[in-house]
Amino acid sequence: MSQPSSLASSQFLGLRVTPPPRSSAASVSPPSPSTLRCSGVSAAYAGAAERARAASTSPSSSTLYDTLGVSPGASGQDIKTSYRRLALECHPDVVATGRRGASADEFMRVHAAYATLSDPVKRANYDRELTAAAAILVHHRRPEPAPSPSPLAYARCTSYPGYGRRTWETDQCW
Amino acid sequence: MPLWVPVRSQVAPAACLSPSPEAPRALSLFSSSSVFPLPNSQCLVWRTDLLVISSFRMAEQPYMVASDSETTGDDKSQSAFHDLAIGIEVGTSKCSIAVWNGAQVELLRNTRKQKAMRSYVMFKDDTSTGEVPSGGASNKTAYEEKEILSGSAIFNMKRLIGRADTDPIVHASKNLPFVVQTLDIGVKPFIAALVNNVWRSTTPEEVLAIFLVELKTMAEVQLKRPIRNVVLTIPVSFNRFQQIRVERACTMAGLHVLRLMPEPTAVALLYAQQQQQQQQSLHGSMGSGCEKVALIFNMGAGYCDVATTATAGGVSQIKAMQGCTLGGEDILKNVLYHLLPNFDSLYSNRDMNKIRSMGLLRIAAQDAIHRLSTQSSVQINVDLGDGTKMQRVLHQSEFEEVNRNVFEICEKLIKLCLADSKLAAEDINDVILVGGCSRIPKIRSLVLGLCKKEKEYEGMDALEAAVTGAALEGAVASGITDPSGSLDMLTIQATPLSLGIRVHGGGFVPIIQRNTAIPARKSMIFTTTQDGQTEALIVVYEGEGKMVEENHLMGYFKVTAIPLAPKGTAEISVCMDIDAANTLRVFAGAMMLGTDRANSPFFEVRMPTLDDAHGWCAQALVKTHGSALDLTTIPKELQPQKVQ
Repeated sequence: MSQPSSLASSQFLGLRVTPPPRSSAASVSPPSPSTLRCSGVSAAYAGAAERARAASTSPSSSTLYDTLGVSPGASGQDIKTSYRRLALECHPDVVATGRRGASADEFMRVHAAYATLSDPVKRANYDRELTAAAAILVHHRRPEPAPSPSPLAYARCTSYPGYGRRTWETDQCW
Repeated sequence: MPLWVPVRSQVAPAACLSPSPEAPRALSLFSSSSVFPLPNSQCLVWRTDLLVISSFRMAEQPYMVASDSETTGDDKSQSAFHDLAIGIEVGTSKCSIAVWNGAQVELLRNTRKQKAMRSYVMFKDDTSTGEVPSGGASNKTAYEEKEILSGSAIFNMKRLIGRADTDPIVHASKNLPFVVQTLDIGVKPFIAALVNNVWRSTTPEEVLAIFLVELKTMAEVQLKRPIRNVVLTIPVSFNRFQQIRVERACTMAGLHVLRLMPEPTAVALLYAQQQQQQQQSLHGSMGSGCEKVALIFNMGAGYCDVATTATAGGVSQIKAMQGCTLGGEDILKNVLYHLLPNFDSLYSNRDMNKIRSMGLLRIAAQDAIHRLSTQSSVQINVDLGDGTKMQRVLHQSEFEEVNRNVFEICEKLIKLCLADSKLAAEDINDVILVGGCSRIPKIRSLVLGLCKKEKEYEGMDALEAAVTGAALEGAVASGITDPSGSLDMLTIQATPLSLGIRVHGGGFVPIIQRNTAIPARKSMIFTTTQDGQTEALIVVYEGEGKMVEENHLMGYFKVTAIPLAPKGTAEISVCMDIDAANTLRVFAGAMMLGTDRANSPFFEVRMPTLDDAHGWCAQALVKTHGSALDLTTIPKELQPQKVQ
């Protein structure tokens, strides 16, 4: 009710309308949340959001597993635990009033990841896509060293087969 | 010494509403007026002949209110609590206030030491005696139930607020002692209280606002600080209009709504805290613990709610919610009709003696229902005053028979909720029963039976759980932290109703489905239905019906600058966003053909833009524009892909 409404429009727009590269549109790999925001408010929010992200994920993280800060082999219990821990950090109800707009985005990202990974069927599908993407990555991008600490080198894949051009985070959970 | 003197000819502070035709005529705040400066000049002007004020006994100390500017930086803990939101549960029948006191939640008591205060506002003649409307929260003289039922008091505001006169609930309210008039044209009902033998009109919001002023005053005196922020509990089935009405009543009372919390989710938060504390005492650490699934059944006098929640590590995730307007009032009505089949006819001409005897019967029936919770049969002896006496025995089996429809609806709600949350009875760890009606044996056995449980969850007061949860949420959302970790918790809310838009042919396409976690943002692509269509109407509805007529119209706006194209090829993106405070924004615009770019700036509209009872606007739109501005969905494969 008392949130800065200026955030909303730029985010909407950013999500749907920003031209490729998709990294700015998809949940999967925004290097910084500030890219989605208009300049007036972005500095403060980005700073805070970045800190929250740093706590849970590496800056180059891109898979849903990275979003939740768990390994791709994590158990359902691990995923739930991690989701709850992150929710307690980033849900707008619990963060300081000043950065609620950013935290809503952060929470929606975490929730979207959770919605996929907590459902065994969705998770299996996602894993398949991830593996396929990793395979493509290995074939085409081998010379480029992956900076991600992720053991399976998933972190670099910015697109999954099966994702259409209109893909962004909030569509991942229904 | 009663100190709150009626204030006459004063302008109410802190009330900033868009002027509306039924602008409340009566409310005023007193001491706190200096604390809450008007945010802007748009303010209601109050009629001065009827001003409110609560009669209230002062505490020993003089009532001091520190203004914001006086709060100094070195007084941090104080200033944290300065903004601390209190929890208020305004029930159909009773109401209560709770607040986080730094260590736990404490329920406030009124001057008569009651924690649960009767929700009503008594309208008295204000010209001769100087008396003003006053509610059950703090009146110096406790009104007898008999007096409340004399026509001079308005109650059940929670059942009436935000409803049109075509609503069956409004119609059912016509047998209450005060006047509820309907004209069945989809506008606001007329309600009036008897003052000086004249039916004086009022509105449910105004009544609620008067009542909230009393609650606010009571809390301010006891907590010795101004109260501004509140977390209010609402029924699950409240649509956005009803929520706005409640918010408006709060604004009139000088309160800012931090959150409107569906009652079972407030209970879920309390459950999360209890589970967390249990875990801590068992393991001595902040373990995340194992997940526990609870079904919360809440039935009060006016509404019935069911929710399922998965709780672990202090976080309660609402999985699904169901609610309907069903409660003790309906049970009471069934019993009244059973006792006196011609109950309706007695009310038709509003004869004072009849109103009085109906009041007496109502009290007797209510008492009988309460006693039936512990007895298998009760004796009803009531002298209706006009020479008729009612003497009979009411058996539990009889009671259950006349209320069969109520129990059936309860059963349906629980089944729906379980199905929505994809849970079987075996998955439920705890069954939490709250609300006054949860004391009815049949309801207990019904809920426990459906969840295949022997016993209900213990450790929660059925009448205090929701307000306690609201106070916890108030503390959490106000940013209060507790060193012992007892505020490290959260309820992740879900949307109780789907939100979507109208498509060609009058169908409703949900964009945000019900039971989506909040905050949420979803979007969908639609397309045109006419060749060369350059404008499209976005008509937003809330509800579960497949056709828009069954749902609530929230508002509409036109998307322009759609590129010229054959029908079915242009793309219109509609995005809905609900933030943590449950504010809905709709964002829509046309895309450039074959691209991901906007053709021109998008529109952002905060919904609802309409008032309640404006459903007829939908018909007017169709009448004027036909299907020229219609949208339709596009095939699934062209929609944004989702992870399966």
